Amino acid sequence: MKPLSKIEYYWWTLIAITLFNTFLGEEFESSALVSILVAITVMFKGLMIIDHFMELRHAHKYLRLMMRIYLIFFPSLIILTAFI
Amino acid sequence: MNHQPPKAPLGIFPRSWSELRAGRIPGNIPIWVGILSELTEFGIFFVAYFIAKFNYPEAFSLGPQTVSTASGVTNTLILLSSSYFMAKAMINIRLDKRQKSARFLWLTFSCGCLYLLVKMAEFYWNHLHGFSTTSSQFFTIYYYMTFNHFLHVGLAACAILWVIFRLRKGAYSAKQHAGLEALAMYWHMIDLMWILIFPLLYVLR
Repeated sequence: MKPLSKIEYYWWTLIAITLFNTFLGEEFESSALVSILVAITVMFKGLMIIDHFMELRHAHKYLRLMMRIYLIFFPSLIILTAFI
Repeated sequence: MNHQPPKAPLGIFPRSWSELRAGRIPGNIPIWVGILSELTEFGIFFVAYFIAKFNYPEAFSLGPQTVSTASGVTNTLILLSSSYFMAKAMINIRLDKRQKSARFLWLTFSCGCLYLLVKMAEFYWNHLHGFSTTSSQFFTIYYYMTFNHFLHVGLAACAILWVIFRLRKGAYSAKQHAGLEALAMYWHMIDLMWILIFPLLYVLR
């Protein structure tokens, strides 16, 4: 069998995180901890796509910065809403 | 990695933003103007969501329990896979494997079509259960976000067909594939937006 390349690992990791997020939402009552976990995993998924699928890791630093700020800012609002 | 020559600056941005100083711009400058505009548009949707959720917490607690989580998860998996296929299309064009690249683009296109079908089935399911844009504040935001995203996937799927046509005509190679890369950037951006939409509308209560 052909060994998995890096891009396949990223793909399976993203799928695993999505299923984990769904499990959290379905199995647990809404709580601050669930919101924080979901927000962090969304951030992580976003940054993985930016770095490895869009390949911005070694590209234009301002584009990379803008995309990263976006994918950190909006999930952070999930955490914020859990406490207000 | 990409080894295309740096693109000529537009002359409207500071010098420090040029490719020589800040790094390579994947795709082309116009697609990034488009991507940043789309991010602003979706950013407004997200702000609207959080304001509405703050003002109508009950509607936003009940809403995700009434929509079809299975459809949301299925579409997330479809879009993640489409992004993977798009990344593979890019890897193959850099190796000058045009046929393989085209095959991955067809897979990405199929994922896009599948997403649209699942989303249409979800809208129909909502309709059968009596949910519409006016059912609650949650559903107003839900349709506002998901229908807009639906349109973006549809348009980008049409763009994939155009890129496949151009690829078959020999417009892209290992040395010149900025058009294909621009499409890849746009497609990944659509995937990113869904990654943000999914927990807001289907997971968090």
